[in-house]
Amino acid sequence: MNFTLFKATTKANWIILAIFFVIMVLYLAIITSMFDPVSLDNLNAMLETLPKELVAAMGFEDLGTTLTSFLAGYYYGFLIIMFPMIYCIIVGNRLVAKHVDSGSMAFLLSTPNTRLTIVTTQALYLIASVTALLGLITLSGIALSESMFPGELDIGSFLLLNLYALLTFYAISGICFFFSCLFNDTKYSVAFGAGVPIAFFVLNLLANVGDKYDWLGYLSLFTLMNPDKILAGDPFITIAATILIITAVLTYGGGILIFNRKNLPI
Amino acid sequence: MIEVKDLTMTYKNGKGIFDLSFSVKKGEVFGYLGPNGSGKTTTIRQLLGFTNADKGRCTINGLDCRTQTKEIQKILGYLPGEIAFFSDMTGMQFLNFMNAMRWCKDKTRTNSLIERFELETGGRIRKMSKGMKQKLGLITAFMHDPEVYILDEPTAGLDPLMQRYFVDLALEEKARGKTILMSSHSFGEIDRTCDRAGIIREGRLVDVEDIHSLKASQRKAFLVTVASEEDVKLLQSSGLELGGINGSHVEIFVSSNYDRFLKALAKCKVLEMDIPSQSLEQVFMKYYGQGGQ
Repeated sequence: MNFTLFKATTKANWIILAIFFVIMVLYLAIITSMFDPVSLDNLNAMLETLPKELVAAMGFEDLGTTLTSFLAGYYYGFLIIMFPMIYCIIVGNRLVAKHVDSGSMAFLLSTPNTRLTIVTTQALYLIASVTALLGLITLSGIALSESMFPGELDIGSFLLLNLYALLTFYAISGICFFFSCLFNDTKYSVAFGAGVPIAFFVLNLLANVGDKYDWLGYLSLFTLMNPDKILAGDPFITIAATILIITAVLTYGGGILIFNRKNLPI
Repeated sequence: MIEVKDLTMTYKNGKGIFDLSFSVKKGEVFGYLGPNGSGKTTTIRQLLGFTNADKGRCTINGLDCRTQTKEIQKILGYLPGEIAFFSDMTGMQFLNFMNAMRWCKDKTRTNSLIERFELETGGRIRKMSKGMKQKLGLITAFMHDPEVYILDEPTAGLDPLMQRYFVDLALEEKARGKTILMSSHSFGEIDRTCDRAGIIREGRLVDVEDIHSLKASQRKAFLVTVASEEDVKLLQSSGLELGGINGSHVEIFVSSNYDRFLKALAKCKVLEMDIPSQSLEQVFMKYYGQGGQ
């Protein structure tokens, strides 16, 4: 870890983090404000007018009756997957592959720092920024709920929900980082770094649609981020957490090892 | 100071470098000459530890170039052949960043180099001209006062005045006992600074010679336009080495026989004489042989 590089990386990328945070908080605020225990039936009635498959794909099927389950269904089923995923794709590519492709990596490596230090610093930035993004969303979620509906949010369950979102994105950002380390061309880094998470995303949408496509869920990491099961305390979630952590360790570790050994065309 | 031994690295397309061996002594300026695509940059990447060798090894100051990069970089100044910076930074921000990455606190040398090369440090690097970027790269390579320099085509993109400033700087560093390896595809560029030069062709080191014997073997081509057929015949029988003859235009190669060349020309009516710019292969025909285009 090199602090100077970490600072420079932060300076070059914080604006992306800020943009995603603002968008995500806006959605969170709108969705929280839509919660109304009395008129929840109305909302459910409205959703019934939409095609059932569409509602299911977005994970809006069961909105529950509490603020926590409402947010879990409405925000943590779909939006919390999509936005951080795009963030990981963009930033993951910028941290390593872009420096190699453009050649600016040559300057980083012509300083008395090992490749390992450089690439580990970039990995730490991605981990830290994903943590910051989801951490800030968690705090905003609590603040928004408490200001609009004091005492309604089950903070313990809400934190658990966010912890799983964080683990999911340690794994997803790991995948983006791995491809960023593996490829020397941003072209391929983006193709795979975006392709794999988007494939997971689409598979997850299809699996939600109905029993017929249920099995597709086994092919997607996002299936592990299941708000209903997390809130219900299903034993499945321990396995899910384990798989997510292992994926994160393997992808980050693998990316770092590959980068440390490979030939760089710079 | 720099040792390259049996270094081999083959790319997928069959190009690369093969069994390279040479060494650069401390305090020496070594020119690394070769046409584009001959393996100059490939060798430099090996010296910087960016790529893994198939065979052989290279060391700088006794340190292995692939595994001990951190120690090497403390005493090395490197100028990449293709310069790409952090384009959102300004020139000054980049220099400060590189100094911080090197834990180098003393800015006096950086500032004097900025003045010397008249670098405009305020603007974003993205907006800089090629020459300005090259200057920034040179300052980055020189500012931490390293022991060894590896410079990949250092004067590319510089105007003649800045090229002279660079030559002065290189000579100063040499006088201070620094070791320099610089690659180039033009002989003129290293002519004034180097003690010895290695000539590389298609990934193989053809020869390593001191610069004076290289100068002696350097061939110049003169394109002479004469007045009549008889003059052409006269030149043909003069024993000079002739290239293509096109009407009254005669190409004559001269390496050390200037006297004979002038005497032969004195007998003809010369209408025009030109020295066309030449590729490295033409200049060093001796090394490149007839195989080089």
